[in-house]
This record gives sequence, structure tokens and C-alpha cells, in this order.
Amino acid sequence: MNLSYILKKSLYGLIIILSVVFTLSFIFFSFINTDGKAVYEMTGQNTDQKTVDEIKKAYHLDQPVWKQVLYYANDLSVISVYPQEINRRGIKVFTTSQKTWMIKWPYLGKSFQTDRSVGQIISNAMPGTIVLAVTAIIFATFIGVLLGMVAARHQNSFIDRSIIFLASGGMALPSFFAAILISWLLGYVLHHITGLPTWGSLYYVDEYTGEKYLSIRNLILPAFTLGIRPLSVIAQLTRNNVLEIQQMDFIRTAKAKGLPPGKILFRHTLINIANPLITAISGWLGGMLAGAVFVEYIFGWQGIGKILVEGLQKLDYPVVMGSVITITCLFVLLNIIVDFLYAVVDPRVRLKG
Amino acid sequence: MGLLLDIQHLSTSFKNEEREFVAVDDISFSLNQGETIAIVGESGSGKSVTSLSIMRLLNEKSSRISGNILFSRNGHTTDLLKLPERGIRRFRGKEISMIFQEPMTSLNPVLKCGEQVSESLRLHLGMSRQKAKEKTIALFEKVKLPRPEHIYHSYPHQLSGGQKQRIMIAMAISCNPSLLIADEPTTALDVTVQKNILELLKEIQEEYKMSMIFITHDLGIVSELAHQVAIMYKGKIVEAGKVKDIFSAPQHPYTKGLLACKPNLEVRWKSLPTIHDFMKEDEKGGFSSTGRSFSIQDKSLIEDTTEREKRLEDLYKKEPLLTIKNIHKTFSIRGRGWGLSSTKIHAVDDVSFSVYPGETLGLVGESGCGKSTLGKIILRLLEPNSGEIEYGGRNLRNLGTKDMRLMRKKMQVIFQDPYSSLNPIKRIGEAISEPMMVHKIYPSKNACKNATIELLEKVGLKPEHYHCYPHEFSGGQRQRIVIARALSVQPEFIVCDECVSALDVSVQAQIINLLQELKKQHGFSYIFISHDLGVVKYFSDRIAVMHQGKIVEIGEADQVYHSPASEYTRLLIDAIPKLVAV
Repeated sequence: MNLSYILKKSLYGLIIILSVVFTLSFIFFSFINTDGKAVYEMTGQNTDQKTVDEIKKAYHLDQPVWKQVLYYANDLSVISVYPQEINRRGIKVFTTSQKTWMIKWPYLGKSFQTDRSVGQIISNAMPGTIVLAVTAIIFATFIGVLLGMVAARHQNSFIDRSIIFLASGGMALPSFFAAILISWLLGYVLHHITGLPTWGSLYYVDEYTGEKYLSIRNLILPAFTLGIRPLSVIAQLTRNNVLEIQQMDFIRTAKAKGLPPGKILFRHTLINIANPLITAISGWLGGMLAGAVFVEYIFGWQGIGKILVEGLQKLDYPVVMGSVITITCLFVLLNIIVDFLYAVVDPRVRLKG
Repeated sequence: MGLLLDIQHLSTSFKNEEREFVAVDDISFSLNQGETIAIVGESGSGKSVTSLSIMRLLNEKSSRISGNILFSRNGHTTDLLKLPERGIRRFRGKEISMIFQEPMTSLNPVLKCGEQVSESLRLHLGMSRQKAKEKTIALFEKVKLPRPEHIYHSYPHQLSGGQKQRIMIAMAISCNPSLLIADEPTTALDVTVQKNILELLKEIQEEYKMSMIFITHDLGIVSELAHQVAIMYKGKIVEAGKVKDIFSAPQHPYTKGLLACKPNLEVRWKSLPTIHDFMKEDEKGGFSSTGRSFSIQDKSLIEDTTEREKRLEDLYKKEPLLTIKNIHKTFSIRGRGWGLSSTKIHAVDDVSFSVYPGETLGLVGESGCGKSTLGKIILRLLEPNSGEIEYGGRNLRNLGTKDMRLMRKKMQVIFQDPYSSLNPIKRIGEAISEPMMVHKIYPSKNACKNATIELLEKVGLKPEHYHCYPHEFSGGQRQRIVIARALSVQPEFIVCDECVSALDVSVQAQIINLLQELKKQHGFSYIFISHDLGVVKYFSDRIAVMHQGKIVEIGEADQVYHSPASEYTRLLIDAIPKLVAV
């Protein structure tokens, strides 16, 4: 693990992001151009041709696709070149007679629907998704590893079989069904016991004052629902890996040293199953960050999955593109972190790279 | 010298749903303080199970141990089998410690070596982290690890096999145990490394006044290390006593067989004695002596040296069958960073030699010396970087795929591991007849089948084995199957890549006899690759010694052994554990 390794990984990440940006924007801009509907979605059905043309011009939709792609990439880039007269926030580096060079945050364009900045829409939705995903994965990891260890400890006993049974069930349960079931059962039928709402977002907005309040209560049911499948997978994975590791020669060495079972389990076994666990956990976390569409939808949770689906329904291409690019970046970042973690827990990985 | 360990009527059995299997069957022995007992036996004899029973390291659910294991210290005698799990933990690592066979897998790969040793110290002696570290480094010095401070912070994969075993030893002696159990501690190591480890163990044992139970299959080691010896066979101790007595006058036929079937370094038997020459087994597992004896004075059993010289002279008059010239093979290991830098390893470095028709060329060397790579290159299973391979006057490297396939009919290989070189889902009849079909040796399927059955009989198996699957056979039988498969295409040249290394000595002797017999019948040429100089010397006409990719010496077998020209060969010969008296 050294600097060049991290640089290399970052470079790979950048290549992935760039290829996603170009491919995606090419596909979407081709769509918009061939399918005139998108503009009408923006303007309404009864707009005259002149307005449509003006709007097309404003969004560069009258240009060839490759130019649109480049415009988009330019907007997205941290260092951009614009015509001199440009109204965009950022630091102007230098200005020539026609062009302005500037450093700025990536600009994702504006929503066709609401004319709000896509960056803003996403940054409003992102915390919700991140909080939900991270909570769900933490819950799934802790409970999953715990159940897995308990099952392995009591291999082939009633407890073990029950855990395997439940985990298989959890894996097979589709999330949309689980979401409806849990929302209805724990949020509605048993509301007087659980006190949990059937739906709601991370922030509760007071309708009169407009102030936002953090509402942890709303988080519990969606996080639980979202966590069920990774929990089941992690529990089985932990159980099987612990059992496998316990057959290893070095565990026999540890026993021959006179170590008590607890120490053997925590110090010698768990650290050895960290790698497959990290792989599983990061995979699930990545998936959840991409938006747990059904769960967010059913629980009315304001998150990236929800805006992505809404964007697709309304042909709001900038929002869809912005969301996908954001998700891509998160994935790449997550993978770099995971590679780093592999090397931290397993010294053998450090040699490679 | 008081009594330390007294084992009375120890039996260990394993049970699964269907049946109970007795691995250790009513054995008793005792051990004084400061004494070493060697338990010798072949695989499945129950020697490892005995040691694991003493430590109570077997799975409690699937195994059952009975008898008494009395352990005395400071005047207290404890029956280890009567202790609760919590109680036995206070003995493990502190009073009794253990070294295992596989140094590669016996250390936790993700913990630093030093921490794995200091863990014991902190647990049993209640040392602080810092003190345990100091003591660990001192221990590393004691076991002669280079740069102990550095090794403390190393991970197991960064060390060699011998170094790992030294760490295991440091771990085992860390709490001054009164008993050290070493379960085949050097089997997985090279012979020169083995020698060093054995010396270290002996030194430490004398210094610490430890008792030692040394488990091994190699009688040679025993005579150098142990005071007492117990020979185990099928879960029973068949013979026990002082090393000197047993080696000079073995009583039990099994012991006699075991002593005789390891290739003798001084004389060359016409065919190696096997266990079956000494004892007969009946169906119930009982055995009786055949009354035969093998004496090196008996000229009828020993190969005549003048006859051998004459044969060799004829051999080298012929044109060579295989000639390799200036073979180079490098492997590159990708380095760190941007993947541009890489280290090159010369696996085979400018090797040239010839093999004559009917000759057996032994290729000997330690692990990593490139001997197996060379074997693969000769068969063109690996492409060399440069060099020429000429077989029967044709340059193999210029042959196209089709011609090479025809060539493969003539050149066959037998690999080391009889367990993984047979496809588990193929009946052995199919496995053997498949190459015949591919090369269309016989006109019909039926003819192939008949030929296969003939081959099975030739290698000492039965025709009814045709329909069996590989898992139904023992290691030795599987190696016979692999040999039969190699013979199925009627080859003239066979590369044996460590083909007896995974086998017990008695089985090894049988397989070597079989190969020898087949050679006489068919006039094969062999390249016999092995790390065991003793076996190579017995089996080969000429020996080539390989070291770090180069051939350091090549010559007539006896000559290489008795007057080695290179320093490295001398080192190898020195390192072979020798039977003191037979």
C-alpha cells in the first residue's frame, strides 16, 4: 500500500467516471434530439414553435449530439472554458478575448421540470439516501455477524438451523413486499406498541414555519426493511466462513496455545473472515447508495432512488443523468475505500497492487 | 529423572452416523523427564491422533477418547482426560506444547509473527505487552532467526517454511513447557532445512531439559534424535523400546519391513524389500511373519556392480533419445507500483543434458530449484524462453500442434499427487482407456477395454477395479492407476515428477519396484524427478543435481553420491538423516 497504488486506483476510478459520463450523455442527448417530447415536457403541450426553438437554444439542444456531450462534460468538469459572458459561480482564472477559464464545482444543469439546479436536487436527496443506506448496513452487519457467529458456535443445533432458516427466508423476501408488509404491520397495525410511523423522511418539515427537524423515528422501519437481505447474506456468510476457518491449521495452533474459545473466535477467526465480509458489505452498501427504489418509494423517503424514478417517469433527463453520475462517483469512491480496507485487514494483499 | 507422562490404555475412536472407526487402539507408553520418544508409523497408523488425544485437540463431538493420560509435575499427577475443558487449557501451551507438520498453514496469516508468540506469554505468564515483546525477541534469537526485531513485525507469508517452523518452535518453548510434542515438524521442509531444524530441536530440548514426543514416518530422523521409539501400525504400538535395540534387532516383522524398505544408501537391492516381504496379513487384520530376512550380505539380492557397469556402458554407446540444449525459463513477478517494474526469476538457467534410450536420469534438488519446471518444459507443457529440445532426432519446439499431439503418445508423465491427478467423477477404466481412444491405439472400444484390464493387472490392480471411482482407492493404488494411464499409450519415455513423494515408505518401495519392473519389460527411459536423494540414487543410472535453476552436477549415481564434485551436492548428502544401524 503506497501512494502510487492509491493514485493508480484513483486514475482507474476517473476513467470509469469519464466513460460513464460520455456514454450516458451521448445516449440521453440522442434521445432528446430524436424524441421531441422532452422539450414539450418542459414547456407544456401547447407551446408555439418559437418558444420551443428558444428553449432548445438555451439548452443547446439545437446543436449536434457530440457538441451537446462536450458542453455537458465542460459543465461537469472542475476546470471549464466558457464564452466570456457567463453567469456561473466559480473562480475565474483568466479571460481571453472570447473565453473565460474558470474553476468551479461540477455543474449538472437544470431540471427540465422544475428549473431547479440538478446539483441542488441531488444534494437535497443524497443525505437521506446515505443515512438510510449506512444505517441499514450497520444494522445488517452487526446483527448479521452476531447471528452468524452464534450459528457457527452451535453448529447443527436447533439455534443454528433456525438462523439458517430465517436467513434463507430473509434472502428470498422481495424488498417491495417486505417494505409493504413491515410498513403496514409495524407502522400501522402495531403502531400503538412500536410508536413508529408508516412513512416519512429523515427531515420533518414544519408546514407553518418551514423549519426542518431531524426525525430519527422515521428512519427505523425503512432501515430495518432495507437491512433484512444484507443481514441474511452476512449471517450465512459469517457462519460458513467461521466454520471453514475453524478447520484451519492455525486455529489448531491457537487451541494448542491454550487460548480460550472467545479469544480464538475474535482474535484469530473473525479477522480472517474480514475480507469476504467487506466484499459483501460494500457490495450491498453500493447497491443501496444507488437508491433503494422500492423502499424509498413505499416509505416516502426522500432519497436518490426516489428522484431517479421520478426523473425517469417525467423524462427529466438532467436529473437522471445527474443522479447516475453521482451514484457512479459514490461507487468508485467506495471501491477505493474497500481496496484500502482489504490491505488494512489482510497483510497478504499489501504485497500485490 | 522422574516420570513425566504415563499413558495407559489410550484408545481414540471417531464416529459418524454409520460406523465407529478406531484410530488409536489401546496403547500404553511412558516418558521420563528430559527424554525423547519417537512415535513412528505410516499414514493412518494413528500417530498424529495419539498426539492430538494427549492435547485433547480433537473435536469432542465426533471423537471418543478412553484410558488414562497421567501427567506429573511438581509431585502432582493429573489425568489429562479427566480435566474439564477449562482445566486442560491451563496445560496447553504452558506445560505441553506442540509443533505441527505444516508450517505454512499453522500460523495465522493475518497476525504478526511476534504477536502470535507473545500472545502465549501474556496468557500463561501474565506478562505485560512490552515484556512479552522483549521475551519474544529473545526467543527468536534463541531459535536462530535472523533479525529477530524485524521478524517480530513480519507476517507469516513473508517468511520461508523453515523460518515459520522456527517461529512455531519459539512459540512452543515460550512458556518453558515440560513436554513438547512435535508432529512431523520437518516433513514439509527441504532436507537441508530439516537438518537445521532437527539440530535446533535437539539443542533446545537438552538446554531446557524438556521431554519430547517426536512423531515421524522417517526412521532416519529417529536414530539421530530419540532415546526411545514406539512403532505404530494400524492404531497399535507393535514394538517399543530403546532406539538402539530396535534398530539393531527389530523383533516385529512390520518394524523389519519399515527398516528395510527405505532405499539403502550403501547397496542397491535388486528390488526393494516391501512390508509384504516380511509379514502377511489375514482378513481380520491380524498379521504373521513370513520369516524372510534381507541381509546386505546376501549377494543374490544385491545388484552386482560389474553387471551394472556393463549395462551402463552399453547404454551410453547408443544415440541419445532426448537432448536438451541451453534451456532458459524465467518467470516474472509483477512488482509494486504502476505494474511496470517486475522481478525476473530464473527458474531454469541454461540447462543442457541428454537421456539415452533405456536410461533413468534422476533429477534431484530442493523445492524451488526448477526441477519440475524443467520436467514440464521437456514435455512442452511449458514453453521455455530459449533453448532446444530434441527428441528422437526431431526438434520438439518446431513441431506444430498436431505433430506434438502424436509426440505426446511417446512421452508421458506421472505427477506427484495421486489425489488430484485423477478426475474424481471418471471411472478409472475410462481414465485409463481415454488416452488409448484419443490416440486410436486399438481398433475398437472392446479392444481398448481389454487392454485396459491387462494394464490394471500389470500395475498390480484387479480387473474388477475397472468400474471403480478414484476415491475408492488408497494413495498407492491411485499412483498405480496413474502409472497405468501413462502406460496406456505405449510410451517410450516417462517423466516421473515426484511420483513417490506423497506416498508412505512401504508403498513407495512397491511403486519403485513396479516402475523398475516395467522398465525391464518395456525398455522405458525415465526422468525421475525427486527431492529425495536416497530414492533417486537407488533408482537412477545417472543423477543430475539441480540448484537455483542450474545443473550443478551430473554423473553416474554412485559416483555422485560417494564423491560429489560440487559443494551443494555434498550439503544435500550430509543432510540426509541416516539410519545408524540396520
